[in-house]
Amino acid sequence: MTEIEVRSLRKRFGNIEALKGVDFEVKSGEIFAFLGPNGAGKTTTINILTGLILKYEGEIFYRGEPFSPHNLKFKKLIGVVPQHNNVDRDLSVEANLKVHGYLHGIFGRRLKEAIDRVLEFTGLTNHKKRKADHLSGGMKRRLVIARALMHNPGILFLDEPTVGLDPAVRRSMWDLIRSVNSLKGCTVFLTTHYIEEAEILADTVVIIDSGRVVACGKPDELKRRVGRYALEIYYQDRIEEEFFETREEALERLKSLDVPAKIREVNLEDVFLKITGRRIEV
Amino acid sequence: MKGVWAVFYREVMFLKPRFLKVMLSSIIYPALFLLAFGYGLGKNARVGNLDYVVFLIPGLITMSSMNQAYGISLEVHISRYYFKIFEEYLLAPINRWEIVVGELLYGIFKGLIPAFFITLYALISGIGIRLNLVFAICLLLHLICFSLIGYVIAMLVKSHADQAAFSSFVMVPMIFLSDTFYPIEKMPALAKYIGYLFPLTYSTKLIRGALLGIDSMVTFRNFALLFTITFALFVIAIWVTQRAEVV
Ligand SMILES: Nc1ncnc2c1ncn2[C@@H]1O[C@H](COP(=O)(O)OP(=O)(O)OP(=O)(O)O)[C@@H](O)[C@H]1O
Ligand SMILES: [Mg+2]
Repeated sequence: MTEIEVRSLRKRFGNIEALKGVDFEVKSGEIFAFLGPNGAGKTTTINILTGLILKYEGEIFYRGEPFSPHNLKFKKLIGVVPQHNNVDRDLSVEANLKVHGYLHGIFGRRLKEAIDRVLEFTGLTNHKKRKADHLSGGMKRRLVIARALMHNPGILFLDEPTVGLDPAVRRSMWDLIRSVNSLKGCTVFLTTHYIEEAEILADTVVIIDSGRVVACGKPDELKRRVGRYALEIYYQDRIEEEFFETREEALERLKSLDVPAKIREVNLEDVFLKITGRRIEV
Repeated sequence: MKGVWAVFYREVMFLKPRFLKVMLSSIIYPALFLLAFGYGLGKNARVGNLDYVVFLIPGLITMSSMNQAYGISLEVHISRYYFKIFEEYLLAPINRWEIVVGELLYGIFKGLIPAFFITLYALISGIGIRLNLVFAICLLLHLICFSLIGYVIAMLVKSHADQAAFSSFVMVPMIFLSDTFYPIEKMPALAKYIGYLFPLTYSTKLIRGALLGIDSMVTFRNFALLFTITFALFVIAIWVTQRAEVV
């Protein structure tokens, strides 16, 4: 089943064309990743899909129904983890969740249960009474995720869920996202500019650059289009990649070189590089 | 209605740790005015057949409660542009008018703080004011009016600087030109005309009239003007909120 369908989505901010006709489909129950460099249009897309931007061109369907930003039915269906941690700093963890609960019409015993459930799920149970401002960056991120899960959304949007987190915390965040997807049966739409994140988590990846979809498919499929092995050649003034189907071919080429080089498996960065001539991560 | 409660609850929780500070600062300001103008400068002065202090007290109530109600402007602005909590409201399955009404209730709540203490002072110190339904209704309308101004400004201006400019060019002149400290009828012509543009003029007349039992101030015209301005502000507030996007 198709969870979200987007057709020729366009958005202008004055002279900047942030989205230049974007098409994609998100399937029910999958982890879908929007991979692209800074300014590609990831946040703009999420903002449109979640009704935070009202003016745009193009068509959006949720489970086959045309989307309208003010229709409350769609707002109940989605949970959003924005790019910035917009927790209420002066409020306790619990009060942050309470406000979200009230906004979604959850009161009384149901509210208490929902708070305990999401706190446990995100590992924040012991921090319930703490002021949100006193949490670490990773814990704030978890709180924002916990908050987005309060009303049991069918689709969770995560805008750069692990940006600014150290590698260990990032890994635990990946586990959390996976369990949201598998345990809660929640469709996950995430954006990232980390290659590894998209490769590890995503069932489907859409690579976006300057407001345009440049590639779309399963991570393995996308990589196959480039080849299996990449040879990184370290010239004095630049690094270049060449792609091969077999390790032997790559090795042969390596031997013919008189500058240092390294063989590795192809990754999504190579896909991006091959299509756009640039790198995603800077 | 759940949205109204959620927004109000959030704002009150935000206020909670600052409550004492807000309360004190909202009382100190009118107290200083009372000392300087009421008991200092205006000691033996009279306005019409009223002691100046008696004339002043209702003006202090409207002035300080206006400041507090309008003060939600800064909080809404910060939650929209800096903490981005406002996004939570925009994402929630609530009608946009519920956000307006929630913030409005918060403005009323804040405005009632100084109004309560000044009224209490007036009652204790024997300045013959009478509490009645007309006073309650007019005070409520007054607080709604200024909460809405604060809210609309917060939603429309893009920066702190613009907000400060609005304060200096509109709110501060309003405090002085609106019959609060000095009867508007005795102002120079230009000041008088400007004063009659401000809703504070009408709410002060209504509230003074109600508290002091001066029927000539509690006119249908004054009430209708205040009501019309407030209603127009409410429509504008709904309109901007309906169109509000992420910032
Ligand atoms: N409110 C706005 N006004 C003007 N331009 C904007 C606005 N929002 C986004 N843009 C522009 O639109 C383009 C896409 O921005 P967007 O935030 O969607 O990118 P992104 O992929 O999320 O990037 P990042 O990885 O930096 O978050 C950028 O060129 C950005 O400068
Ligand atoms: Mg972004």
